[in-house]
This record gives sequence, C-alpha cells and structure tokens, in this order.
Amino acid sequence: MSPLLSVENLSKSFGGLKAVADINLSVMAGEICSVIGPNGAGKTTLFNMISGVLRPSGGRVVFDGTDLSRVSPSRFAAIGIGRTFQNLALFKHGTAAENILTGRHTHLRSTVLDAVLYFGRTRKEEIEARRYVERIIEFLEIEHIRDAVVGTLSYGQQKRVELARALACQPKLLLLDEMVSGMNQEETEDIARFVLDIRDELGITVVMIEHEMRIVMDISDRVHVLNFGRKIAGGTPDEVRRDPAVAEAYLGGHRPQAPAQKTDPHVGA
Amino acid sequence: MRTGDFKETYGELVALTDSPPVWLWSAVLLLALILAPYILNSYALSFMIMILITVVGALGLNILTGYTGLISLGHVGFLVTGAYAYAIAVSKYGLPPVAGFVAAGVVPAVASLIVGTPSLRLKGLYLAITTLAFSFIINTLILEARWLTNGARGIAVQRPILFGVSFDSDAAFTYLCLGFALAALLATLNIRRSRVGRAFVAIRDNDTAARVMGINLHAYKLIAFATSAFVTGLAGALYGIYLSFVSVEGFPFLLSIEALAILIVGGLGSALGAVLGTVLIVLLPEVTRLLFNLFSAQMDAMFTTGAQELKSMLYGLVIILFLRFQPRGLVGAWHDIRRFWVHWPLRY
Repeated sequence: MSPLLSVENLSKSFGGLKAVADINLSVMAGEICSVIGPNGAGKTTLFNMISGVLRPSGGRVVFDGTDLSRVSPSRFAAIGIGRTFQNLALFKHGTAAENILTGRHTHLRSTVLDAVLYFGRTRKEEIEARRYVERIIEFLEIEHIRDAVVGTLSYGQQKRVELARALACQPKLLLLDEMVSGMNQEETEDIARFVLDIRDELGITVVMIEHEMRIVMDISDRVHVLNFGRKIAGGTPDEVRRDPAVAEAYLGGHRPQAPAQKTDPHVGA
Repeated sequence: MRTGDFKETYGELVALTDSPPVWLWSAVLLLALILAPYILNSYALSFMIMILITVVGALGLNILTGYTGLISLGHVGFLVTGAYAYAIAVSKYGLPPVAGFVAAGVVPAVASLIVGTPSLRLKGLYLAITTLAFSFIINTLILEARWLTNGARGIAVQRPILFGVSFDSDAAFTYLCLGFALAALLATLNIRRSRVGRAFVAIRDNDTAARVMGINLHAYKLIAFATSAFVTGLAGALYGIYLSFVSVEGFPFLLSIEALAILIVGGLGSALGAVLGTVLIVLLPEVTRLLFNLFSAQMDAMFTTGAQELKSMLYGLVIILFLRFQPRGLVGAWHDIRRFWVHWPLRY
C-alpha cells in the first residue's frame, strides 16, 4: 500500500537559515503519527509546507498520489488536508458555529449571486452545512458554546473549536499543531480521546506536533523526531524512546535517559 | 434539565432572525418609512432621500471595508462611475432606465476588477492609497473623455419612468430609493450569512487560516471589491438622478471620507451599523447647524459659506470621538443597551 502522505527530501530555507533540511517521512492511511523535537526544530515549518502556507525550497510532498507542488495552496483543503494552528487562528468576531461553518467552504458551491438571493438551492445548501456542523459540534461535545463569540471562550475551548473547524473540511489528513499545549490534565485527556475517535470513527489520518510526551507515546503509531531542521529518528514510540540520538537532542550530552522518562515514569511500563 | 432557546429545524438556524419582536419592529419601521413621504415636508424629505441613497453606498463600502477588512479611500470613484454609466446610458444613448441601473452596477464592478487585480495584493494603508489614486484617475478620465462624458460640462439626468411608473415627484423618488436601500440591505445580510460572506470575514480576521480552509484569497478579495463597487455604483446613479445633473464636481473626495466615517460611527462589519451610521452622519451637519443657530444667527451664514469645510471637520471629530470612546460604533452601543435591558437588574 502506498502511503497517504510522503515527504521527500523536503527543505525550507529562510535566507541563510535552513529551517527544514532534507526531511523524509511517510504516513500511512489510518495512522496517528507524531512529530516531536525541541523548540525551533522545524516542526511547524514542516506543517506549513504540507498545508500550503509555505512553499518548499526543495524536495516535494506527495499527498494521496498528487504532487502538492502542482496544486494551488487554496486547493489543499479541497483535496483533503486540514489543520489547526499552534497559536489560535480563529475568526475571532464570529461565533463558534460560524467558525466551524467556514470550514465547510470547499464543500459548498454558492456564488455571490446565489448568496444575494438566498433562495432554493443556496438555502438548502446552507441548511445542509449547518446540519453537518451540528454533527461535529456533537462529536466534540461543544454544544454549550456553539453560539458564543470565540473571542470570549477559554483557550482550551477555542482549541476545540479550531479542531471542529478543521474537521468541517472533511479532511483525509488532519495536521494538529500542539493541540494540548496550555491545557490542563483533563482537557489533555479529552483531546487524546478525540484524536483516537477521529481516527477510529471518522477514518481520518492524524499527524500531530506535540510536546506533551504522554499523549505522544500513548496514542501514536509512529513518532518522528526533528532537531535543527533534520530528522534524527523515526519509528514506533518504543523504538524512539530507546534511541540515543533522541535522548541527546532533548537532554544534551550522552546521558542514557529517554525524554518520556523525564516527563512521566508510567509510560515505559 | 437543560434550558435555553432550542430550535426544531435546521432552517431556523440559518434564518435572518428568529425573534418575533425584531420582525414586528422591522414591519413598524417599514410602515413608517412608507408613510413618511406623505407626512414630511419637502425639506425633511430631502434628508430622507439623502439617507436612503447614502445607505446604499455605505452598505456597498461595508462589504469591502466592514466584512473583508480592505480599506478603500476611493469609493467615490465607483460612485461617480456608476452615476456616469447611468447618465451616459440613459441621457446620451436613450436606453431604458432599467438598462441604466444595470450599467450603473456593472461598469463600476468591471472597473473594480481592473483596479483590483494588481492592487489587491496590497494590504491596509497601501491599498487605501491605491484606491485613493484610482478615484483621482477616474475623475481625470471623465474630464478628458469629452466625446463620451461632455467633460466638465456634465450630463443632465431626468427622473426615471420604470415599468410605466413615473418617479418624477420627490415622494415617488423616495420610494425608488427606499426600494434600492431595502434591496441593498437584504442582499448584504444574505451575503453575510452565506458561504461568500463567511469567506470575506475569514479573510478579514485571519487570512492564513482562511487559505487553509480552502478560500482563494485573491479571488475572494476581487469578488468583495466587485460586489462592493456594484452596490456603490447603484448609489452613485441614484445620487446623480437626485441631483438631476452628473458632473465630477457633484462627487467630491469628501464623500469617500464620509462613507468611512459612517462605517466607523455605525460599527465596522455590521449592516445595521452602516444604516445607523448613515442616519447619524447625514443628519449631523444639519443638527449641528440647528444647535449653533440657538446661540447666534451669524453662525448660520458660516454654515452656508463654509459647508464643505465644516463638514470635513465634523466628520473628523466624530471619527476621533467614536474611535476613542465607542470603537464598536453605534451598533456596539446598541448591543450594550440591549444586554443591560434584558438582564436588568442583574449585571450579566
């Protein structure tokens, strides 16, 4: 089976700085895959290239058999790539429901003229979109905040609305950029459960950037480790945990501990 | 048990409003507007006509600046293009007024595409300056293309006869303007609650996220620009008809500033705000004149001789005051009052 996403020799330079250098990785359909690494390792830059925010300087990304360098960035959502952002990127004056509706954009057809009349097909389409949004709202258990202006919501709630908006695109591949940063234990566990549900119930492949080692080691099928723009390790959580290069990247020097043992002693058991 | 305002169909969720009082008061207001031309004297009626025409223009700019977040200082350019398109089609080539109105919308929309294609890559102040330049270029083009526009002499325009109904009297013309204003309001509200409107607002609030959602930024900015120019052009045609004479002098640059003042005073990004702002800004010079009259009769003379200068000072003053004390505009104030009223005596 060919992978859903394959990143081949991908590079990005900003002036003289190589943010991402010659990264290769592939994600199979139905996997939950994590990208980890210290701050400034190039994780978000990698995501930006996969989701069309940045153009690669070298190499290529193949998604579902399509070379993404031949696709206009505004078409990425339509071919099935959805994402959330590290620092919230919601439309802050709108309600939660409106934000999620925006995610339906590529699945609706109406033009300005249709919109002005708001009649027949257009109205039916809007109602259908709203029905779909309600299903996502139910799925992520955010019924109580659907009509709240997102600027007034807590950080964790906003993150969840953003996740809902990404799901509204009906992606095949979902990129989650530090979903649980700044969340408390309970919220983190909720998100972990949702990520598993997204994969198992909706059949969406998930790639996440995460610093929270518990969630990475517990739910990932594969983990890729980046440092200084290069991939230094990749494999199952267990393999990565034992990799000396990973320990060195996180802790410096040649100490034998793995990063997971530093954050949580239960994970290795 | 959970309580709240529950809906039974998804149709109710996408309706313009689900509140019976809102429908009731809208109906009352509409009735009052329909009766007004019979009750008001001709001086008061002239203000009503100006408000209705300006509402159309303000709603046009609101699509671009309010929804999409693109600042235009050159909207008077679309106003004048629309007015000339109507005047040339109807007075010069004898086309029916309906065709004139179509031209008044389509010609500015096409002009906006020509200006927009290169300049919408710019943002904020740079776009504002480009649109400002556009409005001056349009003025020069009109003055130079004498074979088409009569240059500085302008074109006289008759009040139209549409579908056998003459809109010659001021009362009848008020109804025509009312029709356009209502249509523009409904169109704007409909755009706002549809896919296209959400794309506009997404571009305003976060363009990177908008692109990741699959919104083609360049295309949607152009659509916003063209839609805005179309509506603004119609306002220009109405204004030209009302003045019964279309010339470059009839559309001073101050109108662009007035339009922005309306949006800021009303509350950016809200159709209701555009309407409220229009009422306030159009009546502001008159109200100020009446106030000053109370103190001295000499002030009256100042208002007739320096009307334009005083207007621009007034607009500047209200923009500053609103940005400082009520940045969400009249519509924000209205929301605060309503919240207070609903929740009283509780704080929230």
